[in-house]
Amino acid sequence: MSNRPTTSSSRSERARQARAASEARTRTGWIIGGAVLVVLLAAGIALLATRSSGDDVAGGGASPSGGTVVPSGDRSTGPVQVTGSALPAFSQATPDTAVGQPAPGLVGESFDGEAVRIDPGDGRPKIVAFLAHWCPHCQKEVPRLTDWLEANGMPTDVDLFAVSTAVAPDRGNYPPGAWLRREAWPVPTMLDDQDQAAASAYGLSSFPYFVVIGPDGRVVGRASGELSTSQWEALLEAARTGSSTSTGEVGPASRVGG
Amino acid sequence: MGVPTASFFFAVLALCCLGGVAATLIASVVQRVVPSPVLAALRRDVGAASVALAALVAVVATMGSLYYSQVAGFTPCTLCWYQRIFMYSLAVVLIVAAVRRDREVRWYALPLAVTGAGFSVYHSWIQAFPPDSGTSFCTAEAPCTTRHVWEFGFVSLPFMALCGFSFVITMMVLARPAPQEVSVVESTDHELVSL
Repeated sequence: MSNRPTTSSSRSERARQARAASEARTRTGWIIGGAVLVVLLAAGIALLATRSSGDDVAGGGASPSGGTVVPSGDRSTGPVQVTGSALPAFSQATPDTAVGQPAPGLVGESFDGEAVRIDPGDGRPKIVAFLAHWCPHCQKEVPRLTDWLEANGMPTDVDLFAVSTAVAPDRGNYPPGAWLRREAWPVPTMLDDQDQAAASAYGLSSFPYFVVIGPDGRVVGRASGELSTSQWEALLEAARTGSSTSTGEVGPASRVGG
Repeated sequence: MGVPTASFFFAVLALCCLGGVAATLIASVVQRVVPSPVLAALRRDVGAASVALAALVAVVATMGSLYYSQVAGFTPCTLCWYQRIFMYSLAVVLIVAAVRRDREVRWYALPLAVTGAGFSVYHSWIQAFPPDSGTSFCTAEAPCTTRHVWEFGFVSLPFMALCGFSFVITMMVLARPAPQEVSVVESTDHELVSL
């Protein structure tokens, strides 16, 4: 510990102590270096593991640097017209105060610039899904629903719509159009505008977010979070029957903001 | 780095922390039963590096937490904030202590880490078994039962925090000089006194 000369220790003893202290310092350095190496190694493993599974995991690890080429004319946001009054913000509170309220109508555009109309009260039940490209739960939900729709076919008695919202070029998996094309997403998708008019009209508070609308245009139920296949089927059933069966926070969800 | 990559990375690190804690526990039990000079030397060396190791873990945990809120866009819930309070302050205190080679920091770091770990245990618990009636901590904007991350089927954000806090606690216990080191210091002091 001390470098001061002492009368009781010989020169060789001091040299031995200094050598031992230096060796101890070296060993400590090795331990700390090893810990840093573990961190770097974990980063490498994570990069490799998520890259190799990126093809089958929903947009896993997809990022702007992932080499996605956006076709020209591809847009991420578009004009949205809202008619009717906005729904209250979705919360876990039960009962959901939005149930029974008329859902607002939306007129907007698809990624290709074609018109998309969500017109509640046209006599057909609807489910509107709100998706954010950067939300990991949406990235997991989209392929699950795509698989279900491929296996079971698009429902003929319920209209499905999606709204791509909360677009953020600085976040992962941008742009949303490329992501949904990559996933072969079969649902007609409307672009929300930069102020997220469609999302706020529907009371979105987390992603993914589903609003079930009955044939009379009134909200049957709302759900947020990842849906399992059975929960998705329950939402379809709720749309058909017009009675809420399973809504609320159904699975992991990404919050707005942050 | 996308969110899935980051989550995998932090989950692996959390499991490494857990491995370190387990290895320390096993080694200390073995040392009690069958004392060995190799383990004693390892104990001394890890003890000397303990504050730096704890600082490394606290800093990486802090970066992870900031990544999830600032880059991935997850809104931290109330319980997340309580854990952040303890992890962020640990990061600062342990960096200073690591630079100053101050192993006495354990008296300050241990209470912080233990309190943080307490919140992590509770938070992990309600994420694993969400109560039907909700909790007093949950708000509609940031429900604390939402599993933003769920790696390997059990690693959630509070679980990662728990691994970090556990590692810091273990390192702070190891920061106490081993008996041999104490005797070296005592003998040196004795020599100085005899001057």
